[in-house]
Amino acid sequence: MKQTISGVVLFCILLIPPVRTYMESIMILHMLVQLPLLILAGWLAGKVVIQKFSRFFAKYNENGVPGITLVIIITMYWMLPRAMDEALTFYHVELFKFLGLPFLVGIPLRDSWHKLKAVGKSFVYLNYLPMFGLMAWLYIDTPIQICNNYLEVQQKVLGWGFLIITAFMVLYIIQFVFTDHSEQES
Amino acid sequence: MSAVISEKKSRNNLVVSYLTVGGIIILAMMVFGVLMLLAQGGSLNLSPAAFYQFLTIHGTGMVGAAALAAAGVMWYFLSKYVELSKKIAQVNLALFLIGVVMVIIGVFSFEYASAWTFLYPLPAISANAWGVTGALLYLFGMLILGIGFLLFYLDTGRAIIKKYGSLAKGLGWDVISGKKAEKDAPSSTIVASTMVTIVNITALTAGAIVLIMNIINVINPAFTFDPLLAKNLTFAFGHIFANSIIYMAVIAVYEILSKYTNRPWKANKPFLIAWTMSTAFTLVIYTHHMLMDSVMPKWMLIMGQVLSYANGLPVLVITAYGALMIVYKSGIKWDMGSGLIFLSMFGWVVGVVPAIVDATIVVNHVMHNTKWVPGHFHMYMALGACAMIFGFMYYLAKEDSNVEEQIFDKIAFLGYTLGILGLSGSFLVSGALSTPRRWATHFPEWMAPANFGAAAGVLTALSLTMFVVHFIRYLSNRNKVEMSPESKKLA
Ligand code: HEM
Ligand SMILES: [Cu+2]
Repeated sequence: MKQTISGVVLFCILLIPPVRTYMESIMILHMLVQLPLLILAGWLAGKVVIQKFSRFFAKYNENGVPGITLVIIITMYWMLPRAMDEALTFYHVELFKFLGLPFLVGIPLRDSWHKLKAVGKSFVYLNYLPMFGLMAWLYIDTPIQICNNYLEVQQKVLGWGFLIITAFMVLYIIQFVFTDHSEQES
Repeated sequence: MSAVISEKKSRNNLVVSYLTVGGIIILAMMVFGVLMLLAQGGSLNLSPAAFYQFLTIHGTGMVGAAALAAAGVMWYFLSKYVELSKKIAQVNLALFLIGVVMVIIGVFSFEYASAWTFLYPLPAISANAWGVTGALLYLFGMLILGIGFLLFYLDTGRAIIKKYGSLAKGLGWDVISGKKAEKDAPSSTIVASTMVTIVNITALTAGAIVLIMNIINVINPAFTFDPLLAKNLTFAFGHIFANSIIYMAVIAVYEILSKYTNRPWKANKPFLIAWTMSTAFTLVIYTHHMLMDSVMPKWMLIMGQVLSYANGLPVLVITAYGALMIVYKSGIKWDMGSGLIFLSMFGWVVGVVPAIVDATIVVNHVMHNTKWVPGHFHMYMALGACAMIFGFMYYLAKEDSNVEEQIFDKIAFLGYTLGILGLSGSFLVSGALSTPRRWATHFPEWMAPANFGAAAGVLTALSLTMFVVHFIRYLSNRNKVEMSPESKKLA
């Protein structure tokens, strides 16, 4: 219950107009803070939802693959530069962002992740890793302004943000595979 | 009991599919190799565009098919130690076939011809030699192929971690550090598989980035990228992936020789250290492809040179020495399987020498991009890695059925050896004559070695046909015989 409340509170905070406007005025905050927090809000609140509709989730997301596919599709969409642009320009895209990320990413992510097998998890992880690396490269290296709403400098900052995330993902996986997992069942 | 046998049969079936697909593609690609040499030798009238399409399909097809077959070898032996997912191996095969079809359509129907290295920005900037469709078919085809292999190695990695605790233990680091006794070291198959899992997941991740980057650039050329970084990633992918073939195939050397001689191939400390060194070196020495890129940081190039000397050597030396020791006074019975395996050690050793010469910056300034380069890698790919794969095919046929080897097989053995030596020799001679590699048209002075190479290539292809025929005879034979519960004794 506590988790659900914090999820809802987080969602409401993100909705507060000054918070929202501020976050969206800076590219890296928009992409790497606001969007993940929206997902987090859905993930937190998801506990109750998943319990309540457990039959639905058991039926349509039995092995976690449909859920994680939805997650991947929607998060990939939000990595496209123009998606962020349009969120600022069209209110229905903004609406989709605020509803889609918690409900279609956060909740299914929570339901799917633990259902996936070890290979599935590492496959998803190793798909995001090069994707983030590519995004870093794209935003740092591209010689043109990609978004109408953000300057090239902001693009570069975002790119470095992605690069740092990629670096941490690489470090994480290295420590994971080189430390011992004998005792625990995978 | 019969359930065990049928499970074993169906696992063997999968390995057989890997090797059949691999063997047939390798054979088909040899034909394109011969056609290229005939064109370079002036004996065949081939438009330059067609030559480059052949070059592209030959490089892509050979590396892909040899990798697939070698992965089959690794899967066969690794699954005796850890629990691998059959489904994932099937998915890999399916994605491989889909990818291959896309690549073939891209190359032959849409004239895509960037060579298998698809070096940025060539896929997008082809001076109208090919269009967007061809490039996308090729790049997406490679991506799909890569996804299949990625799944494959994720599964091997998962299985190794599950059984041994971590990849570090798969490489035997706890034995190296003395925490564990040498007699409890992981088997040579586990060590090699761990190494390949590590380097290839790295390679495929780098490859995915650079493939998608190329795809973006092809779709919208306004998005440009740093070409030097692109080149680094491309060779991090290409070098490592092509290199991994021999490290997968070498598992056949360990397992087959120890089975033939009834002696275990012990993973002792020097063995483990050698494999750890090769793991590290394989990851960083791709910079030897960039010795001409003067803008690269100097230390990286020097590292690329120094470590290239050292790269294959630890594993090569330990394996060649081990192979001699295990065979010495063992009363081994020589047949096609053990013969090809032993030949492969020779091919590997001989192939490495000109490679090392070429990885020297001073020599590279002269030899870079001459046919010296295909000279060394044909030797070690065809006479090293592929001979291991073919040796495994004979071994499997013998273990799993009762087809007999015939005199043709022995002739083919000789033909294959001489063919590859002739082919590689002709490449090396061309290189010494300063013939550039990857040129559709040759000056008259350069033509003789090319024609000689073509003849040697025909001999090679005919010999391989015999190998494949034997394998197909085994396929039709194996379904007729009852398998005995214990696997047959070979020696
Ligand atoms: C009958 C056997 C073979 C023949 C006649 C042959 C012929 C050729 C020729 C003519 C080239 C182009 C050389 C140039 O740059 O001018 C080439 C390149 C190449 N071959 Fe082969 N080859 C054979 C077997 C193999 C095998 C068994 C493999 C690997 C398993 C292989 C892998 C390659 C690769 C990776 C390239 C480089 C392609 C590129 O430059 O993009 N070849 N081969
Ligand atoms: Cu290389």
